[in-house]
Amino acid sequence: MLQDKAEKNPEIIGFACSYCTFKASEMAGSLRMKYPDGVKLVQVPCSSRVDPAFVIKAIFEGADGVFVAGCHPGDCHFIKGNYFTRRKIAALKEMFDAFSMNDKLRLFWVSAAEARRFVEKVTGMYNEIKERKNVRKEN
Amino acid sequence: MKTGIFICHCGHNIKHTVDVKKLSNFFKKYPGVTVSNDYPFVCSEPGQDMISESIEKQGLDRVIIASCTPSLHGELFKDLLKKSDLNPFLLRRVSIREHCSWVGDDIEINTEKARRLILAGLYSAAHYVPLEEKRVEVTKSALIIGGGVSGLSAADFLSKMGMQVYLVEKEAELGGHVKNLKNIWPARKDGKSIIDEMIEELAGRENVEIFASTTISGFEGFFGNYEVTLDTLEGEKKLTAGGVIIAIGFSPFDPRIKPELQYGKDKRIITTLEFEHNADTLQLPEKPRVAILHCVGSRDEQIGKPYCSRVCCINALRVGEAIKDKYKDSYVESFYMDVRAHPRGGEEYFEDTQEKGVLFTRANVAEINPSLTGIVIRGEDTLFGEIFEREFDLVVLSIGMSPPVDNKLTASLLKITLDKDKFFMEAHIKLRPFDTAVKGIFIAGSCSGPKDVEESINHGRASAVKLFGFLNLGYAYVDPFISYVDPKRCSGCRMCEQACVAKAIKYDEEKRVVHVEEAACMGCGLCNATCPSSAISLKGYIDCMIDDEISAFMEAI
Repeated sequence: MLQDKAEKNPEIIGFACSYCTFKASEMAGSLRMKYPDGVKLVQVPCSSRVDPAFVIKAIFEGADGVFVAGCHPGDCHFIKGNYFTRRKIAALKEMFDAFSMNDKLRLFWVSAAEARRFVEKVTGMYNEIKERKNVRKEN
Repeated sequence: MKTGIFICHCGHNIKHTVDVKKLSNFFKKYPGVTVSNDYPFVCSEPGQDMISESIEKQGLDRVIIASCTPSLHGELFKDLLKKSDLNPFLLRRVSIREHCSWVGDDIEINTEKARRLILAGLYSAAHYVPLEEKRVEVTKSALIIGGGVSGLSAADFLSKMGMQVYLVEKEAELGGHVKNLKNIWPARKDGKSIIDEMIEELAGRENVEIFASTTISGFEGFFGNYEVTLDTLEGEKKLTAGGVIIAIGFSPFDPRIKPELQYGKDKRIITTLEFEHNADTLQLPEKPRVAILHCVGSRDEQIGKPYCSRVCCINALRVGEAIKDKYKDSYVESFYMDVRAHPRGGEEYFEDTQEKGVLFTRANVAEINPSLTGIVIRGEDTLFGEIFEREFDLVVLSIGMSPPVDNKLTASLLKITLDKDKFFMEAHIKLRPFDTAVKGIFIAGSCSGPKDVEESINHGRASAVKLFGFLNLGYAYVDPFISYVDPKRCSGCRMCEQACVAKAIKYDEEKRVVHVEEAACMGCGLCNATCPSSAISLKGYIDCMIDDEISAFMEAI
């Protein structure tokens, strides 16, 4: 039964910047907003800490999706770390494209106040991946 | 390795949707885990005693506390480890409340998620090493942005306690909005006299420097030594401040955003602020008919202002009272949604105003049509469920507070966050209402949400007390999460040097390797992710920690 559940429900690993997205996720929790249990966060000091190797590692280990989330452009606590993230993830996406895995990786900006946006983003990603996954299973 | 896992019930908050007993039993048998316990409140004194006792008796060298989010009680548990002679950086907090028990309802699913979260913490903590906190000297000076009541009250306290105070005001004169108010309720005092009193207090002090007509053009550095560039009338000026208090106040709501109110098209439609300024010169007939509209620019989802501005009900009552006092035979009608006369004595004041003859009609005003004989208000009486149409000689809009105009600019300059209503966001709405997420930067007054004069003064003083607590120590500890280079692996490609925003990475021409200047490193970890030879690591977030965390999440260990 549990095995069945695990197969159908996607696992998503998210890298969350301590200053914004992680704060937003804390707030989402405090506000008792609901989002799928498959979403698990790795706290990083800045989204620029995310080595593309981590993303690949997560996919290798069986994650169905990975997201990197940081502060809105211009709001980075470390001045311009998120610009580096944007470029890194863009390059990585191009590589993922070659394997038709573009939908597995996402980058978005969530500020510390945007708990609702955080929940919408992760739930949206989760549902899309779940849909695609289950379609693939049926085939 | 001897790891201790302590799982908090948090009363019912965690226990309700996570099977804590099952979790602690699972980890009891896990390799490398010496102690695994669950406890109703780990943060309570008996809970803390339990942890320190385990550390001493079992000789634990890693502590994992699965409870609320790491930013809560962070210092508490760090101190606990210090007291037990264990390096505080061997502690791992796992958030199973905000990130698990509160976001899902199914106990089976939540328990599984919590298990994986703790597992990730366990594997990540295995790579922890003892770290030393860096001590930095703190400049005993404070920068206060905004010279309104809250800024002035903060400046008063800090300068009295002997701190150097730099007070920056954008306008030529101190006092903000309060200096233009007359007859402030409930003190019945002139705003100008309150401000003058406060300025007089400051004027004699040597350690207060006031910069009027000044804006902030540059802001850099970290807690204890912020480097600030001021744009004064005489040109640029640089100064160093230990901490910052932001007290830039609010902007009055502009009723032009709601075109149905016809504000600005007819001079018989005015705001409460304009009424305040021109109360004596208003041209009104002997028996004036006056309408007062509550909640203009507050509690209005359509224009994105769902919050209550807190001060406008009292302002509306003051207008009604002022007209009734001046014109005995006037007809004054207040159109309200709810009267929220919240400050002390407000309810009584509301009743007094009703006794004086101000009529209160619970209504939604739909439109205002100026005509030659008067101004016609059309709306719905929400108690009777009837449409009404009445004519008035004067319409006063009780406007609310909007976020300050400079909010976005200030937020991006100081790297702090705005909340959903675009006021400045506090670090925690209940536990840390004066702090921002950035250490040493505080907020005061109505820039963090609508407040009346009394609350703003209190808020300013409270922020000043908190900042004083930080500054007076003279030193601070900063997190030791900085990068270091393994010279054996460094190939000298200098990619990190180009990436580093803080310019903390320096190249050694002789040895052909780079090194990190610890004082300048901000700890973002960009260099760690950039280095192609994995020679740089960010302490506290090294590669193998994150790798193992990912593996544990996916149960691929």
